[in-house]
Amino acid sequence: MQTDAFTYLDPSPSVWGHDSVMSPEQGPLAGKSLTIQPSLSVRGWPADAGSVALKGFVALEDATVIERLKKAGATLVGTSRMSELGLGLAGDTTGRILSEGRSDMALMTDMMGEARIIAARVGAFAFKPSNGTVSRFGLIGLAPSMECLGILARAPEDIVAVMGIMAGDDDRDFSMCGSEAPRFDHVTESDDSIKVIGFMKEPIETLSEAEVRAFRGCLDRLEKSGFRIREVSLPDYDLFRSVHHCIGAVEASSSCGKYDGVRYGHRTAAAKNWNDMYLKTRAESFGALVKAYLFQGAYFQFENYGAFENACRIRARLVKAINGLFAEVDALAFPTRSGSIREVSAEDMEGLYDDFVLTLPANVAGVPAVQIPGYCTDGNADYGLQIIGPRLSDGPLLSLAVRLSKMGT
Amino acid sequence: MEHEAVIGLEIHAELNCATKMFCDCPNRIGDEPNLNTCPICLWFPGSVPKFTADALEKAALTAMGLNCTIQDRSAFDQKVYYYPDLPKGFQLSQAHLPLARNGWLDIAGEDGQPRRLRIHKIHMEEDVAKLVHEMEGRTPISLVDFNRAGVPLVEIVTEPDMRSPHDAMEFIRALRTQIRYLGTSECSMESGSMRVDANISMRPRGTDQLNTKVEVKNMNSIRHLGDAIVYEISRQTASLVAGEPIVLHTRLWDPEKRATVAMRGKFEGPCIPDPMVPQIVVTEAWKNEMLAKLPEMPGRKADRFGRQYGLTREEALAMSAERDVSEYFEAVVNRQVAPRTATHWIAAQLLPTMRERNQSFTDTPVTPARFAGLLTLLERDAINANAAREVLARLFESEQTPETIVERYGYRQVSNADQLEGIVDQVLAANPAAVNDYRNGVAKAMGFLVGQAMQASKGKANPKLIREILTGKL
Ligand SMILES: [Zn+2]
Repeated sequence: MQTDAFTYLDPSPSVWGHDSVMSPEQGPLAGKSLTIQPSLSVRGWPADAGSVALKGFVALEDATVIERLKKAGATLVGTSRMSELGLGLAGDTTGRILSEGRSDMALMTDMMGEARIIAARVGAFAFKPSNGTVSRFGLIGLAPSMECLGILARAPEDIVAVMGIMAGDDDRDFSMCGSEAPRFDHVTESDDSIKVIGFMKEPIETLSEAEVRAFRGCLDRLEKSGFRIREVSLPDYDLFRSVHHCIGAVEASSSCGKYDGVRYGHRTAAAKNWNDMYLKTRAESFGALVKAYLFQGAYFQFENYGAFENACRIRARLVKAINGLFAEVDALAFPTRSGSIREVSAEDMEGLYDDFVLTLPANVAGVPAVQIPGYCTDGNADYGLQIIGPRLSDGPLLSLAVRLSKMGT
Repeated sequence: MEHEAVIGLEIHAELNCATKMFCDCPNRIGDEPNLNTCPICLWFPGSVPKFTADALEKAALTAMGLNCTIQDRSAFDQKVYYYPDLPKGFQLSQAHLPLARNGWLDIAGEDGQPRRLRIHKIHMEEDVAKLVHEMEGRTPISLVDFNRAGVPLVEIVTEPDMRSPHDAMEFIRALRTQIRYLGTSECSMESGSMRVDANISMRPRGTDQLNTKVEVKNMNSIRHLGDAIVYEISRQTASLVAGEPIVLHTRLWDPEKRATVAMRGKFEGPCIPDPMVPQIVVTEAWKNEMLAKLPEMPGRKADRFGRQYGLTREEALAMSAERDVSEYFEAVVNRQVAPRTATHWIAAQLLPTMRERNQSFTDTPVTPARFAGLLTLLERDAINANAAREVLARLFESEQTPETIVERYGYRQVSNADQLEGIVDQVLAANPAAVNDYRNGVAKAMGFLVGQAMQASKGKANPKLIREILTGKL
């Protein structure tokens, strides 16, 4: 039997309308429905981020983005089922909710490419904004420097509308980019600022025959549509994965320190003393995959700090290298996902990283990325076309998505 | 082989900002437990730390006042450890890129010669929650008070330049003076707004090696700091003499036993860069703005007091060591009181009386205006020194002006020559022995006679005139 796709449904979607500036009928997002994950705070809603460690935790305040979406008149449907703390996609129901038409859009934490991968699986659009574009206040995260809020929608125009509402400075999150923030009010199909699309040769070498066929076909189509296609190279490409794994695990290990079972969440039934209580509570609270991730993070923190420092240095080098490529091309294209669709087993950390190897570079570099369906196909399989741009080129990237959707099939 | 001590200090000082370091909660530790809390300082899921500009300014002023160089770029790290006073599992601190480096303070060494002690670095840090251990019936319980969680601190780390308890105590006194001048922290070891840890090691005198150190904590006064260092030096020296190795560990000062006691191994966790709080980049313009906010510090002020008011070095130091005293002094002098009279009366009369009455400059009724009024009466010979002391006591008790008090209670000095001559004649007649002594060259007999005359006038006579008349008649 299939579990319910929602872990929580808003019992009275109109009730919260009372604190909106605009009623849901009037706002720019009037009539648009959004599903979120229980890792995004909505006052009064359960926010357990899919983990026993936060079992029963109810958000005290609205996240900044939720406050803005409510004011814009969006309808918040409820929360989808998510993997524990958003690590991996095991049990995630966002794709199902979208393809069953139960919500126009969905928001989910994109730590290594989750929003893009899900969208590619169900033939939808997804967008991962630049770091510092969307406030993280109220987002229950795992690896802050890697993650941001991703948006999934069937129509790219919906993503543009939601970004226009959610993006922008927030005095509750000082990591926002301030005056240079991207704008979304000029995103149109007539914006043709992206002319030269590059592709890296290194990831292509890891793809299957069918995937290469689909991606080459996609590049041909883009060329016929008037884009210039250029092959580029980033010899350190395979380091994106190791850097993400090391830094992501270390940050996760730190962020999860606060789940002690004292103030909320599961607490062990019997313990001899507080130390014992912490140990048992944490042992009972986390699933195997998260535990493995936290152990790896703790290993780098406590036993191999030098490796973590190296990862930070390599990350800076990768950001520089990718910026170097953006001097040659306006954007970079990748397939979004590889062909295999599988549920990652709890022990399979490498399998988890295999699934996200094409999407996580954008998270490591903090640059925007968009997933476009219907272009990178082979027979019935749609691997998804992923295009990433320089940091803060969120507007032009979404213009490109709108343009490609109009040229579409 | 003779050994010498090598001592470095780590000082935590609470900044007196209005709010905590990463949220808008009031920075008031003593309130009802857990009153000053919010999702950020309780470290609830989804909260984002929001670094406050006030904490940065006060920390930077503190660092500048201690002659440090503010770094153009500094950043917060997560100091990872697990303990119930830190339920988020890490403390935000600046381990890798501190706010400031390379400062110094001058002290007077044991030989009286000036000694410059270097400061290695100053960084910002949030305080952790406070644990309160109680009994619930027969069950021991531990309560957590988050009022202190997130309170802004600076940690000052010195170079190991100190060689004796004297050096360490003088350094803390000098540090406290500087910071109180800046007005950025109360710096009270007694109340816990300043916490001092000492790192102590021993080495053969004359070498420059750095040996294994022992950290000593839990001293809650400057005297305890000195006592703990004395104890630790003799303990380590005894170990060395006995050929026992010194092991790196932490000890607690036990004021009851007057000894340091080994503490269970303290867990030192790693520090990773915090991914939520942005790096702090300061501009030259901002640094200049902060420099402009720095008050005149005690060293320079003492020099100026000597130059401008003709005070001796000792007087200038006494009037400049505390900012509120120095400001009071200048307020009195600006009311046309002779600077040395002001110095003498502040140091010898005003401050002791204020201490007795447990008053500070903010709450004493003896304002600079009233005090200057009193000293002006003294300088114009309207009252004598005895009367001035009594008028001062009344200034503490009432709101009246010194002039009113003098008139109402009859403190006005008698300078009428006829009246005084009468008194002198009586005294001479009553004390023939003293008169004889004086004539035979016993100079102190004069003092006795003046005293007798003052007494006869009930203290109101002008002692200068009495002395003149006496000299004339003898
Ligand atoms: Zn707070």
